[in-house]
Amino acid sequence: MKKRILVVDDEEGLRLLYKEELEDEGWDVELAASGEESLEKLEGDAIDLVLLDIKMPGMDGVEVLRRVKERWKDLPVILCTAYPHYKHEFGTWASDAYVIKSSDLTELKQTIKDILGKRQ
Amino acid sequence: MEYDIIEKVTELSLSGLRLDAKLERAARLLLDAVPFEQCVFYILDPEKNVFEKKAFAGEEITLVESYGGDQGLPGLVKKKKAAIEVYKKDPASTVWEGVDDAGLKGYKSALVCPLRDKERFFGVIYLKSARKAEVSKMKMRALGIMALQASSFIKCADMAESHERIHRELREIEERLASSEKLMALGDMAATLAHEIRNPLISIGGFAGRLKKHLGPGSPGIPYVEQVLKEVGRLEKLMNGVTSFVKDSAVNLRPDDLNGIVEEVLQLFEDEFAAHGIQVKKAFSEVSIGVEVDREQLKIAFDNLIVNAIQSMEHGGVLRLSTSLEGGMAAVSIADSGGGIEPRNLGYIFNPFFTTKTHGTGLGLPITNSIILRHKGTIEVENKPGVGVTFRVILPYLRQFRSAG
Repeated sequence: MKKRILVVDDEEGLRLLYKEELEDEGWDVELAASGEESLEKLEGDAIDLVLLDIKMPGMDGVEVLRRVKERWKDLPVILCTAYPHYKHEFGTWASDAYVIKSSDLTELKQTIKDILGKRQ
Repeated sequence: MEYDIIEKVTELSLSGLRLDAKLERAARLLLDAVPFEQCVFYILDPEKNVFEKKAFAGEEITLVESYGGDQGLPGLVKKKKAAIEVYKKDPASTVWEGVDDAGLKGYKSALVCPLRDKERFFGVIYLKSARKAEVSKMKMRALGIMALQASSFIKCADMAESHERIHRELREIEERLASSEKLMALGDMAATLAHEIRNPLISIGGFAGRLKKHLGPGSPGIPYVEQVLKEVGRLEKLMNGVTSFVKDSAVNLRPDDLNGIVEEVLQLFEDEFAAHGIQVKKAFSEVSIGVEVDREQLKIAFDNLIVNAIQSMEHGGVLRLSTSLEGGMAAVSIADSGGGIEPRNLGYIFNPFFTTKTHGTGLGLPITNSIILRHKGTIEVENKPGVGVTFRVILPYLRQFRSAG
């Protein structure tokens, strides 16, 4: 069965881009436009990995991360952000990986492969 | 007569004239009162230890422009702290009681009075005559009072000058502060803008990538899409720079060891130093230097300085790093041998987006500067065109710091 990734980002264009690119890689992709929506989806669907934007209106990525890790301790989360200097703050705790947002998705795809590959 | 001249000199001291004009008038008044033909005021520059001629009146048989601090009669007066009366029979000789003074040539008599107050020695009044000069006790007293007055001119002028200097320095600091605040505001604005631009940019680049995939190899559209991808990549690099301009002004300060931070940054560049044939010379303080800093941010600041240094020495050179405690502040100095900055560019190097490199973002130094400012530190540049640049980062020293272990 295909593994399923939940992409959480408030930008419509980026959701579409991630969905198409990750589907090309062979993953199933679910989308959420806000932190609140992502938690609803997680309650309903079986998700194998969450790709999470940090900066979102309403509940931000850091808060979503905290709640996800409270409820689903083993669910891998990749944080995406524009700020390279967050890397140190968040990279070492809670999230499983940290990726700096870029139009070049190579690093992101590799990170997903690394995490989900281990869990085959 | 004697009271007359004292009155005139006192009036002079209250006038608004400049110091050299005051002294020149005093010299003329003196020549009217005492039987000498030349009067010179020599003022001692305590830093250079040199007497300089500041004012002069009268004849000019021999006139010495300056004396070494321990030379001639002025030097002797400085040592004795008292007036000297000179008489020699032979006007051609320059030596009096073993003291050689070129200014004595052509004169028989001289009177050299110290200009001093209780704390300081300012210089001398040097009076000369080609004849044998007789100075009455009364006149000597009057001369002493005049010398005191002249000393007070000099002291006032000194004070006015240092007052002016302090005022000027304050204004400079004010200007620098205002410009760094402007810079920080500009940086914050740029960071906000960059964040807004970044997401659409990722969309553009990402979908251009998808388009490329769909077009397939050999399609005539490929070069166009590739151009889009290239430009997007360039903009993204710029945006990364702008966002590291540290939008969040909060620095997360913790006690740390400055030597350790610099050492850690250096290790990241070991391969690059080797690749460019750069020799690294370290002179770290032997004891650890406590600072209260945001380690990650400070590393970015040093990182930028070292990257610049490497870029200036692509074909080899020497990078000198030192850390020290100076005047109660922690200091790091990073010096390259990369030829320095062109003087005409020096004023702009901390301005965002100013760059002389083909692919530079112009943000390295502004980011470094903004980080150091947020740490209440300063950054200084010493530029030697044709040789190299030294950047000195000064940070508040944390006295209570104890290194681990």
